[in-house]
Amino acid sequence: MLLELRDLHVAYGDAPAVWDVSLDVDAGEIVSVIGPNGAGKTTLINAVAGLLRIRRGSARLDGVELGRLRPHQVCEQGIALVPEGRRLFTRMSVEENLEIGGYRPAARASRDASLARVYDLFPVLREKRLQDAGLLSGGQQQMVAIGRALMAKPRIMLFDEPSLGLAPAIVDDMFDIIASVRAEGVAVLLVEQNVGKALEVADRAYVLEQGRIVASGKPDALTKQPRIREVYLGV
Amino acid sequence: MPSLTLLGQSLISGVMLGGLYALVALGLSLSWGLLRLVNLGHFALAFLGAYLVYHLGTVWHVDPWWAVLIIVPVFFVFGMLQHWVFVVFRVTELTSLLVTFGISVIVESILQWIWTADFRRYETHYAGVSLKVGPFYVPWLELVALIVAVGLAWASWAWLRWTYVGKALRATAEDADIAAAFGINHRLLSFLLSGVCAAYAAVAGAFIALVSTLAPSQIWAWLGVVFAVVIIGRLGNPVGALLAGILIGAAESLAMAVISPAWAPVVSFTILIVLLLWQPKWL
Repeated sequence: MLLELRDLHVAYGDAPAVWDVSLDVDAGEIVSVIGPNGAGKTTLINAVAGLLRIRRGSARLDGVELGRLRPHQVCEQGIALVPEGRRLFTRMSVEENLEIGGYRPAARASRDASLARVYDLFPVLREKRLQDAGLLSGGQQQMVAIGRALMAKPRIMLFDEPSLGLAPAIVDDMFDIIASVRAEGVAVLLVEQNVGKALEVADRAYVLEQGRIVASGKPDALTKQPRIREVYLGV
Repeated sequence: MPSLTLLGQSLISGVMLGGLYALVALGLSLSWGLLRLVNLGHFALAFLGAYLVYHLGTVWHVDPWWAVLIIVPVFFVFGMLQHWVFVVFRVTELTSLLVTFGISVIVESILQWIWTADFRRYETHYAGVSLKVGPFYVPWLELVALIVAVGLAWASWAWLRWTYVGKALRATAEDADIAAAFGINHRLLSFLLSGVCAAYAAVAGAFIALVSTLAPSQIWAWLGVVFAVVIIGRLGNPVGALLAGILIGAAESLAMAVISPAWAPVVSFTILIVLLLWQPKWL
C-alpha cells in the first residue's frame, strides 16, 4: 500500500475535525473522498500534506510515518498538494511557481524536462510563463497549481476541491487531467464536492461525514446505496 | 534662486547621500519584506559597525576596507544569533518592533559606555578627496558608498530573482504553509537572510563611519528617513530601496539648497505621504 492512514485524528486547536479515519491509496490508484461542506475533507488532506499536525493515529507513505516529519520534509517523500483555492504565489511568475514546485533536491535535477512536460500538458502556460500568476484566469491558475505539484515528481498527488470556482467546461478538463496524471503512474487522493465527477474518475471512494468515514467502496457499489443516492446524487 | 552650479552640486551631494540611505535601508527592507520582522535594531547594528570601524582605524590603525572585511562575517553570525532569539521567543511582526527597540536602546547604552556620548569624526586620508567633473565636485568616499549601494542592491535583486534560495524566500513571504509543503525549510532560510541583513548593516556602518559624524544618539536620526525609504521602495524590494534612497537624498539636498537646510527633515515624509495618497501605478 502506498498511502496508509490508520485511526487518524486531526484537530484545529482544541476543536477536533477528523476522527479515527482509516484510508488507503494504492500505487497508481485514484481514490476520492466525498462529503458535505465542513465534513473535514480539507483537514484530512492538509494533515497528509504536512500542513496540519496529526494528533493521533498514523499516516504512512510507503512505510514512512509522516507525523514524525517536519512540514518541509513531507514533500521529500513524494507527496504533492494541489490546495483548495489554488494558493499560488501570486506575485511570482508562472514559471517561478512551477520552479518552487520542483524545489525539492530530487526534483531539481530534472527541472528542464519537468517544465517542458508541464508546458506540453498546458500550452497556454508556456505563453504566459513570465506573467505574474495572480493575473491569470481561474482555470489557468488551476493549471499552474497542478503543474506546480507535477514539478515535484510526486508518487501521490493530493487534490483539494480542484473544480471549485471553475466554469463547467473547464471542470471536465480538470478531471481529464486527473485521469492523465494517474496514467503516468502517479496515485491520486481527491477531495471533491462535485460528487458525480469524483465518483466517475475514482477507482475507490470514501464518504466522510462530520469527521468520520461512514461508507467506502467501489464507486458503482456506493452509488447503489440508497442513502448515498439520496444525499449526494439527489436521485 | 541659487545658481545652476549650486543646484547641480546639491543634486550630486543628494544622490550620494541617497546611496548611504539605501545602504542602511537594504537590510531593513529585506527583513521586513521577507521575514515580516521590523528590525529597528538594524540602525543600532549599523552604528555598532560604524564605531567598530572607527575604533579599528583610530586605535589599531586598521585600514577601513580591511575593517569591513573583518566585521562583515562577525555581523553575519551576530544576525543569526539575534534571529535565534527571535525564533525562541516567537517574535512576530508587531512584537519585533518592541523587541528591537529594546535592542537599540541597549546597543546605544553600550556605545555610550565605551565611546562616550561625544561626537566623533573618523579622519582618513580618503576624506576630502574629490573628483572634479566640470564645475562639480564628486566626493570620493560618498561615490564609493553609492557604488557599493548599487552593487549590493543589484546583487540582492539577482539573488531573490534567479536563485532557488531567493525564490524560496519570496514564496515563503507570500504563503509559508504552501512553501513548506513543497519542501522549503523556512527556518533555515530565515537564519541565512538574518545573517545577510546584519552583514549589510556592517557595510552601511562602515560608510557611516567614513562620511559622517558619530554619536550614539545619531542612531535615531537615521530612523525616520530610512523608514520612509524602505516603505517608498516597497518592502523586500532591494532595487526599490536603492531608487527611493536616491530620490529622498536628492530631494532633501535640493530642498536644503532652494528653501533652507531646516526643511530637509520634512522632505522624506512629505514624499512618503504624497506617494501613499497618490499610489501611482509604477510604485
